[in-house]
Amino acid sequence: MRQSNAWIFTTMLASACLSLLASFVLSVDAVLLAADPQAALSCNISSVISCGTVGVSWQASLFGFPNAFLGLVAEPVVITIAVASLGGVRFPRWFMLSAQVVYTLGVVFAYWLFFQAYFVIGALCPWCLLVTLSTTLVFTSLTHVNIRDGNLFLPERASRAARRFVAADLDALAVAVWLMAVVTMIVTKYAPLMT
Amino acid sequence: MSSTRRSTSTTDRREALRRQQEADARAARRTGLVIKAAWATGFAVIAVLLCVIVWAVARPGSAGTASGSLVTPMGATDSGAVVIGNPDAPVTVTIYADFMCPYCGTFERVNGDDLTAAVDAGIAKLEIHPMSFLDPQSSGTKYSTRAANAFVTVANTDPTLAWNFDRLLYANQPAEGSAGLTDAQLVEFARQAGVPDSVSATFATQQYVPWVDQITNQAFDSGVTGTPTVKVNGQVFSGDLYSAGALAAAISRAAGA
Repeated sequence: MRQSNAWIFTTMLASACLSLLASFVLSVDAVLLAADPQAALSCNISSVISCGTVGVSWQASLFGFPNAFLGLVAEPVVITIAVASLGGVRFPRWFMLSAQVVYTLGVVFAYWLFFQAYFVIGALCPWCLLVTLSTTLVFTSLTHVNIRDGNLFLPERASRAARRFVAADLDALAVAVWLMAVVTMIVTKYAPLMT
Repeated sequence: MSSTRRSTSTTDRREALRRQQEADARAARRTGLVIKAAWATGFAVIAVLLCVIVWAVARPGSAGTASGSLVTPMGATDSGAVVIGNPDAPVTVTIYADFMCPYCGTFERVNGDDLTAAVDAGIAKLEIHPMSFLDPQSSGTKYSTRAANAFVTVANTDPTLAWNFDRLLYANQPAEGSAGLTDAQLVEFARQAGVPDSVSATFATQQYVPWVDQITNQAFDSGVTGTPTVKVNGQVFSGDLYSAGALAAAISRAAGA
């Protein structure tokens, strides 16, 4: 069932929508923070980013604007791909390869931010975690499709191995293990504070 | 002759085909085994991680567990503040702060001398709400709660010393997200503030932690949305909290009125 187009593109669509929602909330927050210097200079209980430590860190606007803007730009493209594919559209290989390359950069960036927040800033924000989770799911579903359809221009042997890997649902297993590891990281560090 | 040869070559081909099929079957079995092994390993890793998660959640908090009964410090207001200075002073400066909040630190370092002067002159009294909502920002050590508990413990015996202690804690404020000052450092700064050892020795009992929890919620219920929030005679001070003199001027105006 998981191998069917409907299933994989629905996963992609739902994850992209979640990611877009989180990016939107974080963008609004970043704009409000910029507009109200007093809010930027206090620790706010209801703020998405308490104390703005995460929000005003240099990591939060690595390219000179809030990172969340990138999500606003990229996720609608993913949503379009998912919806069109659900409707039966087949995109050219070069198109899907480009999507794969760009989204791979995105997911690397998302995890770089996660590790910065976890180890350096020392504060996690719930909406940022939602971005981490949903980009992971978009990335894996996109990769699944591209391996299955041979869109990645891999050498023959690698392509066959990758296809077997995906056909056996081992990619789903890998994601489950990976997300579990991330949850474990978060819980072991922050569970003592939730009591 | 030729028919014999053909039959031989057919046999050879059949034999080759059979061997090929066997090899394919072996390869398929091998792949199948590898896949099964991968699933087994994956589930084993997930099971181990689940155990770690359960252990982490079930483990008692490393510090600052609010398990004791509610003890209200002497002289605290109903709204959940510790009072510093002459209770009859004409101006009341209310401060909502968290010892881990970097902006509270900036505020206190900028305005500390002015506030001390106003209190010493009998113009103002301070009502300090030591909040603990930034506990998640101290790498698991609940610095906000530990510092607030220490501060309230001192205030319970001597509010003037508590103000000295408060200023020392902000002067030596740990970075947000760090583990905060250690319990031993809290005791040491209390000593520097002139707090008797007999008092600082009771920080460890954490007896005011339930009260700190309560007043933190009380503050948010009353409409405080963040820290620092500063009020002068009940009115939120909307001026510049981070430049020296602005708050002092507001206090003087309130005293003159």
